[in-house]
Amino acid sequence: MNKSLFLALFLSMTMQVFASIDTIAVDVGISVFKTMPIGVVPFSEPSGTTLDWPDEKPHEVAERDLNLSGRFDVISVPKFDLVKLSRARAKFYVTGKIEKALNNKIKIDFYLYATQSKDLVLGESYTVSLIDSRKAVHDFIDKVIYNLWGVHGIASTKLAWVSKIDGVKQIMVADYDGFHRRQLTFDSTISMMPAWSPDNERIIFVSFRNNKPQLYIKDVATGTQKRLFKKFEQTFSPAVNPKTGEILFSAIIDGKTDLYVGDPETQKTRRISFLKSSQTSPSWSPNLSEIIFTSDRGGSPQIYVMNSDGSDMRRMTFMGRYNERASWAPTGDRIVYTSMDDGKMNIYTCAIDGSDIIQLTSNSGNNERPSWSPDGSLIAFSSDRTGSHQIYIMRRDGSNVTRITKGGENTAPTWSWYPIEKQVKHNKEGKQ
Amino acid sequence: MKSFYGLLIAGCVVIGLTACANKQEPVVDPVVQETPAEATAPEQSQVNEDSLAALERERLEAERLEAARKKLQEMMDRVMSEDIYFDFDRSELTEDAKQLLTQVGEILNQEPRFTITVEGHTDARGTEDYNMTLGSARSTKVKEFLSAYGIASERMETISYGEEKPKQDGESEDAYAKNRRASFRVNVK
Repeated sequence: MNKSLFLALFLSMTMQVFASIDTIAVDVGISVFKTMPIGVVPFSEPSGTTLDWPDEKPHEVAERDLNLSGRFDVISVPKFDLVKLSRARAKFYVTGKIEKALNNKIKIDFYLYATQSKDLVLGESYTVSLIDSRKAVHDFIDKVIYNLWGVHGIASTKLAWVSKIDGVKQIMVADYDGFHRRQLTFDSTISMMPAWSPDNERIIFVSFRNNKPQLYIKDVATGTQKRLFKKFEQTFSPAVNPKTGEILFSAIIDGKTDLYVGDPETQKTRRISFLKSSQTSPSWSPNLSEIIFTSDRGGSPQIYVMNSDGSDMRRMTFMGRYNERASWAPTGDRIVYTSMDDGKMNIYTCAIDGSDIIQLTSNSGNNERPSWSPDGSLIAFSSDRTGSHQIYIMRRDGSNVTRITKGGENTAPTWSWYPIEKQVKHNKEGKQ
Repeated sequence: MKSFYGLLIAGCVVIGLTACANKQEPVVDPVVQETPAEATAPEQSQVNEDSLAALERERLEAERLEAARKKLQEMMDRVMSEDIYFDFDRSELTEDAKQLLTQVGEILNQEPRFTITVEGHTDARGTEDYNMTLGSARSTKVKEFLSAYGIASERMETISYGEEKPKQDGESEDAYAKNRRASFRVNVK
């Protein structure tokens, strides 16, 4: 399988999906997202015994991962079916074989086959406990995506969000698909605005335990926590620098909100905004040389960008009276933000000069707090379209909206970084 | 001798009661000083009247304290019930707000022991982040007004709760209007 063959495959076989997009600018291009049909065949299980799967069987997890990635259209077949797969233009299919292993574990062999030739494109074997089977599937699907698309998938990443539990907002952490959910905070006061440390092992968040909004950092595995930047009374809006671990945040001093950068280890901070107005919601550019943020200097919240030392500030959004909480795509080419119109919140993206505005959500309640997946292809957000706030994932063009939580009130999803081993690889290969 | 003891006991009771009733004003000496003089011509009824009078004074004192406490509580309650309302996405004080704040300022002038925390709140619309700055701006506007009214700024702390502590749940304009507010907490020094 060489590269030109793949290119030919893409051009001839990919299905074009036109997302329904509402535009608010005149000059808007039509966004086209290409997806690749892929077959999934249930894995063979050891005969004579039934395995007690925690929630879903491996092929169901694989289907979910492939669909959520936004890169594939899954063709489900109960068993290998050349005619059906060919008709659906599924050039590849995923299947596997499950065997019993020692110590109550199972061995899962994963296969990615070429449909026509039945050539094995990729094969991996994992010996895991039943409870860790999802993890094995996520890992394999990421390898499939790397093999077929040349980029790292996000199936092994995580989400943090805020859940209302007994009426109190608490921080939750979970796999990106909403499974393996865990409560991280157990305070009687509000916890909110989670952000991941670069190694994904700690969560920075805002706690009201001292009756004031203050930043804390908590270890996900051990629960160890400490307050950050104690010289400030009120701190919030944390944004992590994935290279240095430094934290951009907002602090209120004498009634005015300004932006600061702080080191969670040394607790040293420096101010980076010096305007008369209030600044909040800071976020780093992917190359960490620039910062986007919100300022109300024009009388209403609008998005601005400046160098990371605070110089060369310029306004980015001009349309509408309320544009907030911008976040730069890891791919560097788009900014996602939330805009309010007629009292409803909706998610938009624009080019980095503020042009080419595309509305991603509309006519479906309030849609807020977009967070990029580490590969920049997906956006997690919260919406109250069903009557309660829940977490959703969509493609970066607003299509393929999938709900990943139900019940209760879930808001403020925050995508983790790539797992640390993929971060290194990611950088070495210089891929975005 | 028996009645002398009685007097002594009554006197002790009076001292004890008054002392315990108001430690700041142990001015019960006149009663105590008078009793030995009267002890020369002891009369059972006199003793009773004395102790009754002492109890009456005691009762009045307790009532006075209770009234003072009540008044303080009423003043605190009044300050804490005075929510200052704002227009959508605004932190400027309305004329109504200024009138209310004048009353709050008056109470703070009358009762220098009060220190206040001004909490700034927003309605549920908008982002959590921006609403934190908006809540801060609202509480600060309130503090600035009271400061101009003559209240020392050391007596006032401002905190933003953003949209996190709504007074009324729901997505009606009525609920929104009730939640766009600055509220007070009062501490007594």
